[in-house]
Amino acid sequence: MTTKSTAETDEIIICRDVHKWYGDFEALRGVSLTVKRGEVIVIIGPSGSGKSTFIRTINRLEEHQQGEIIVDGITLSHDIRNIAEIRREVGMVFQQFNLFPHLTVLENIMLAPMNVRKWPRPKAEERARHWLARVGIPEQADKYPGQLSGGQQQRVAIARTLCMEPLILMFDEPTSALDPEMIKEVLDVMRDLATSGYTVLAVTHEMGFARTVADRVIFMDGGLIVEQNTPTEFFANPQNERTRQFLSQILSH
Amino acid sequence: MTDIAPDAGGRPPSIPFWRDSRVLGVLAQIAFFTLVVAGLVGLGRNVAGNMGRLGENQLLCRDGSSNFRCAFDFLRLDAQFEIAETVIAYDPSDSYGRALLAGALNTAKVGFFGIILATILGTATGIARLSSNWLIRTIARWYVDLIRNTPLLLQLFFLFFGVILLLPSIRQAAQPFGLPIFLSQRGINLPGVALMPSFTLWLALIGVGLLAAGVVWWLLGRRERRLGRDTRRSLWALLMLLLFAVPGWFVAAAAGAGNQGFVVAADAGIATPADVAARARAALGVDDLSAVEAAVAAGELTPEQVEAATVTLCTVEGAPAEANAAAWLRRAAVPYDVERAPGPNEAIRAYLDGDCRLLVLSRAALTAAAVPNSAIVPLPETPLRLDVPRIEGLNFVGGLKLSPNFAAILIGLVIYTGAFIAEIVRAGILSVPRGQSEAARALGLSEGQRLRLVVLPQALRVIIPPLTSQYLNLVKNSSLAIAVGYPDLWSTAYTTLNQSGRAIQVFLLVMGAYLSFSLVISFFLNWYNRRIALVER
Amino acid sequence: MATLYHNVRAVLRGEAADHFSLGHYLREHLLARPWLLLWLLLLTYITVRVVMSQLADAPLTTLVVLLVWGVSVVATAAAELTRRHSPATLWLSHNLYNSLTNALLTLLLVLVLLGLGRGFFGWAVTRASFTTDPDAAKAQLAAHEEPGANWGAVGDNFRNLMVFRFPREEDWRLWTLLAWLAVLAAASGFVYGRAVFRRSPLRRGLTLLWLLTPVLSFVLLVGLGGEGSFLPRLNPDIAWGGLLLTLIIAVFGILASFPLGLVLALGRRSRVQGVPAWLVWAASLALLAWLLVTQSLPGLRAATTTGGRIVALWPLLLLPAALLITRAFRGNLVALLSTAYIEVIRGVPLITILFMSIIIFPFLLPPGMEILGTWRVMAAVALFSAAYLAENVRGGLQSIPRGQYEAADALGLSTFAKYRIIILPQALRAVIPAIVGQFIALDKDTTLVGIVALIELLGVANLISAQPDWLGVRREPYVFIALIYFTINMLMATYSRRLERQLGVGER
Repeated sequence: MTTKSTAETDEIIICRDVHKWYGDFEALRGVSLTVKRGEVIVIIGPSGSGKSTFIRTINRLEEHQQGEIIVDGITLSHDIRNIAEIRREVGMVFQQFNLFPHLTVLENIMLAPMNVRKWPRPKAEERARHWLARVGIPEQADKYPGQLSGGQQQRVAIARTLCMEPLILMFDEPTSALDPEMIKEVLDVMRDLATSGYTVLAVTHEMGFARTVADRVIFMDGGLIVEQNTPTEFFANPQNERTRQFLSQILSH
Repeated sequence: MTDIAPDAGGRPPSIPFWRDSRVLGVLAQIAFFTLVVAGLVGLGRNVAGNMGRLGENQLLCRDGSSNFRCAFDFLRLDAQFEIAETVIAYDPSDSYGRALLAGALNTAKVGFFGIILATILGTATGIARLSSNWLIRTIARWYVDLIRNTPLLLQLFFLFFGVILLLPSIRQAAQPFGLPIFLSQRGINLPGVALMPSFTLWLALIGVGLLAAGVVWWLLGRRERRLGRDTRRSLWALLMLLLFAVPGWFVAAAAGAGNQGFVVAADAGIATPADVAARARAALGVDDLSAVEAAVAAGELTPEQVEAATVTLCTVEGAPAEANAAAWLRRAAVPYDVERAPGPNEAIRAYLDGDCRLLVLSRAALTAAAVPNSAIVPLPETPLRLDVPRIEGLNFVGGLKLSPNFAAILIGLVIYTGAFIAEIVRAGILSVPRGQSEAARALGLSEGQRLRLVVLPQALRVIIPPLTSQYLNLVKNSSLAIAVGYPDLWSTAYTTLNQSGRAIQVFLLVMGAYLSFSLVISFFLNWYNRRIALVER
Repeated sequence: MATLYHNVRAVLRGEAADHFSLGHYLREHLLARPWLLLWLLLLTYITVRVVMSQLADAPLTTLVVLLVWGVSVVATAAAELTRRHSPATLWLSHNLYNSLTNALLTLLLVLVLLGLGRGFFGWAVTRASFTTDPDAAKAQLAAHEEPGANWGAVGDNFRNLMVFRFPREEDWRLWTLLAWLAVLAAASGFVYGRAVFRRSPLRRGLTLLWLLTPVLSFVLLVGLGGEGSFLPRLNPDIAWGGLLLTLIIAVFGILASFPLGLVLALGRRSRVQGVPAWLVWAASLALLAWLLVTQSLPGLRAATTTGGRIVALWPLLLLPAALLITRAFRGNLVALLSTAYIEVIRGVPLITILFMSIIIFPFLLPPGMEILGTWRVMAAVALFSAAYLAENVRGGLQSIPRGQYEAADALGLSTFAKYRIIILPQALRAVIPAIVGQFIALDKDTTLVGIVALIELLGVANLISAQPDWLGVRREPYVFIALIYFTINMLMATYSRRLERQLGVGER
């Protein structure tokens, strides 16, 4: 067993000098980040800055080629057992929801608890209904994803992630594929979760969310963390030239 | 199980290999590969164990020893079987290798013509399926449904045994619509085109015409850009080409007037080709030679009389002069017969022996031969002469000849594949969104430009990949030729296999050959596909 | 044509003076499009020729057709002019007479179709004989100058066409199997379509019964016991034939190819860590050296021609092969072998594979072991079909968005669970139409087993023409079995199209 030398400490995610290449293109050029238990972090940056790639390396949807990632004391490597353990503890919500279209909403949520955590069906179903109620759509349990609106689908996706009872929640631009009137319902759920003790890593363009909920805002560009700070400081007093430029472009309209 | 200190200088932690995804992947693959190889080795052992049944001479070398190396040495042995039709010269005393090559070329022949014709038929049908005329649409749909849902082999059998072999015998060959196309049990005979010596001149004139058309096209293109309106330059360019091609035909014909000629006895009283017809008329006592057949049928003339008036030509096998003379005699309706010799000297000897009344050769050969007591009469010519098939004895002579077997496999494959291509073309055209056509019209493009510049490039991108696999299917399906007796690759390979007993080697060769056909076709179409993909950007 | 109508209407209303001139119309609409004019002239010429010949052949029908055509064209034109369309003229003006060329084409095609139809009808009905008594048939046909179809040959051989030599006293087995399938199919239509039964034991039971069907089919079609027992063993080489054999081979081919096809599809798409390049190169160089020493050197010594020397150097082909493995496949041997199998099988005609099963299979078996021809052919068809199925399944796998894989990974599902629960159910559902298409192709390809001496539907049809009673009767059985194939395949194709629509609308 790997030691849980960091498990007792507050640091639940430790990334050191993470590099990632796609062929000749270096997508991550040495990203280092430490996240404390219960911390809410919002990552922003222009498209192609590597922010999505970065959070996807944390649950091994992308393989990092250099550096070190430790999640809840488990080192992420080629060890398939470690990968499975980390994925159990890290939940992820995608931009395109990625619900399973051939399963009902309830089956979508119960799937992982039953197959990965090996819960018995009654327990899985009870928890699934609980989380569905928590995201506010208990009446949609027996519908298929295709019959729901985008906002509802994204809330089902969040419930599906929560039902695995993860320690860490990662959001990869969860509102980018939604119509404006649906963004709010998803953001409300996210806000609710952020304030109830989860460790949250969110890539998003919702500056309001970042301002009000985040403990720390991180700005990435060109595969590097350019600047990080508390939201108040970050938005009021950006240190880096590129950050200022990005913020002025985003906030100007 | 080593402990990892988080700050151990970036050294990767060691993982037990049975949990390392990289090692596991490689191990699984090597295990898989070993399993496959072991299976193959096992099969190989069984083959070795069965060698007694295969025969000891399987691996015979020329020096009499037996070695794995010599597995393919049998290809040099004499084939000793006939192949009914070949593209290259082939004789039963040739080797198995050459027999297989002849078969492969026959397959290539079917594949080549089949692909061209099936593409034409399929495209036409695909467009017909989208016609605004309900009747055309429906007929095309029935054709496609009927053909796609019945087996090709059944269609081939029906075509061969139920249609082609039930055609009339060669003497009563059917001529659809009175065209010079002859359908009989012995196959299909089509008129061919014989190139005369003056063809080169005509081709040169056409070349000049093309050049002129290009210049007109370019000049009018500049004018179009200057004036900003259509000047119908394609029509003018075509007119320019015709301006050279049509007079060029007559110029070349006049220039070639002395290229060919025939020799007659000096005392025969023939000075021009027209005298031949006049003499035939006089001999038969009729004014119009085209009425001879009717007269024979009515009993006014006996076949013997016609026989006596028939003009015999001596000529060289395959010489253009024969086609020229025959075309001329046919137009004048003079009954004629041909004696073919392998070379000019043999033809002259035959003439001197009295086998024929006319010796038809190129002028140069005639002058050089200097036949005594005779005159040389020049033969008029045009750059191209229609070479119409003609019954001589029990066979058709001249023109293009499709054996019943070749006709069955070619027509069968074209009809079958055409139905599949039709669906591909239709889907391709439908795949271009309506908005594209609307945008093109809104920009003011003409209908032709809309199709050529907007719809077609996009449709082709959808059409080419499935079209490739249809072409491959056509070539593979040509192996059914064995059912209608056409000696294609598979058919010759099967005979080779039975005669030589080298089953495994022959199968390897055949599979290799079909795979190469597939590779060649895929290569060309992939190359084309890449090109249109590039044009698109 | 619309413009023409418009202009004629203008003339009729007396507006012609300023709006319509024939010369202008011709210049604008015919002379401006020389190709159209040419096409119109050619079409007119052909139509006139065909009308003439048809008038000579069948004056009455042709006159009626001409009359109907003329009246309907005039009616349509009148309706168009007055803008008072009846539903019939509206349909005509849209579908048959929407342009001058189309009106001509309609007439031409109707006449040609009538001519062909008359010929076929005369052959198949008027001049045909329907009796199964060969002598009576001969007499009936002899009465016509051009004898028609001899349908008695088909009627007389109906049982042969259906089951060929299946023993009559065992017919009940076939009826039992048919009844079983019919009941299951009817029950499936009821149970699988309804959401109520989604988790019910009824559905599981039905699935179980379906899974039992192959076993039952084998028991019924082949038998168990010895001579004289309740289910005597039949020899498929003899007992199976006709439509029965066609269906057995096609259904078996598609079902048996499933496991291998699935593995091949997954194998070809696999992205597992490749064998390192150094290992590939080391192994192939070692093999190359060994082959050069043991094979090429003696070969070079024995060779007399340059060609022979080049051939003797064949082990050098290992170098491009190693390059292919390391570059194109990144050392992924699973993908390499799957791809090789798929492409080789798809690259060669089925007929070679069938012959291989007959000629080469026996040599691949341990000495002394024999397998019946039918089994060998069925195995060959399944192996052949697997390569095509793999490509279809691969298409289905490709149609699954990457997000589905990622979501399954992010949830921590194992690779096996990911494919079993998420990917394959969706991929297979997406390719059902393609698989039905493959079944149709396989059903048609089954005719080829006739070439390797199994007597399926087409084989029986060919045998009929050799029977003394029906010597040379070929077209009739061909037409009959074409009808059988057409019906089966058309039904499947229609079903598949309906399914495609349902899948397209249903859940995405």
